[in-house]
Amino acid sequence: MAKTHIMAAGVETRTATGIPTGKMGVWWFLASEIVLFGGLIGVYIMSRLGSTGWPEMAAHLSVPIGTLNTFVLLTSSLTMVLAFAAVEKGDQKGMRTWLLWTVLLGLTFLVIKAFEWGSEIGAGFPLTAGGFWSFYYTMTGLHALHVLGGVVVNSILFLSALMGLLGRNEHRVELAGLYWHFVDVVWIFLFPLLYLSW
Amino acid sequence: MARERVHPNYVAIWFWLVGLLIVSVGVTYLPIPTRITLFLIFATAVVKAGLVALNYMHLKSERLLIYAMAIVPVAIFFVLWVVLYPDIAIR
Repeated sequence: MAKTHIMAAGVETRTATGIPTGKMGVWWFLASEIVLFGGLIGVYIMSRLGSTGWPEMAAHLSVPIGTLNTFVLLTSSLTMVLAFAAVEKGDQKGMRTWLLWTVLLGLTFLVIKAFEWGSEIGAGFPLTAGGFWSFYYTMTGLHALHVLGGVVVNSILFLSALMGLLGRNEHRVELAGLYWHFVDVVWIFLFPLLYLSW
Repeated sequence: MARERVHPNYVAIWFWLVGLLIVSVGVTYLPIPTRITLFLIFATAVVKAGLVALNYMHLKSERLLIYAMAIVPVAIFFVLWVVLYPDIAIR
């Protein structure tokens, strides 16, 4: 008879394939996200190759701010994986601490992004300023929505852990982490595509 | 079969990621041809993404099915891109 339960992060969880069902679900979701962002990035690259004047537009973006935000997101991936490592060690306090850091760093990323958008719009480059800016706001906006989603999920996990409600569902930290790292990977490509390729 | 989960030194990976970030930004200031600059910044991006996926998402110790779920959509993206590219290249 097929195995219906498996251990994940120290707790028994459902499985139909030998892989925890929750993890399978997250990977299916991430597969759809790869197509979503991949399609957008692919169209951006082709539009950029087929247009003139885009590098001059991209030169108006602030590389130091983009670099700072990349640093913030890379660091948030570290704190997220440390939260998961704490779960595996049974370290409740460590899990809560690293989850909180991840939430704060996610919020920091969003605040910096909002400041950046504000200064670009203030400099006369709104969404309608041209093809490059349409792609820029669409791609960074969609990505920021994903960061916001991750912040919400991590906040729920943190508050649940704080109130002692996470209990046997600590493996959800790993699932949230998979999503968070994926959002980081997307930014790893958006940063050079938008900020450095001019 | 799933391999035993590998626990890399997560902090060391972070140092690599930050180092590669500095390299990718630094090469844009070097007086080298644009093609080489573009190659270097996207090569470092691919390495950074690989480091995150293999170590932080633990793909290193995942089953083949998970690899397939990650790689098939990436392959679909490249196929679509290559199929559509001539439309731009020969315009």
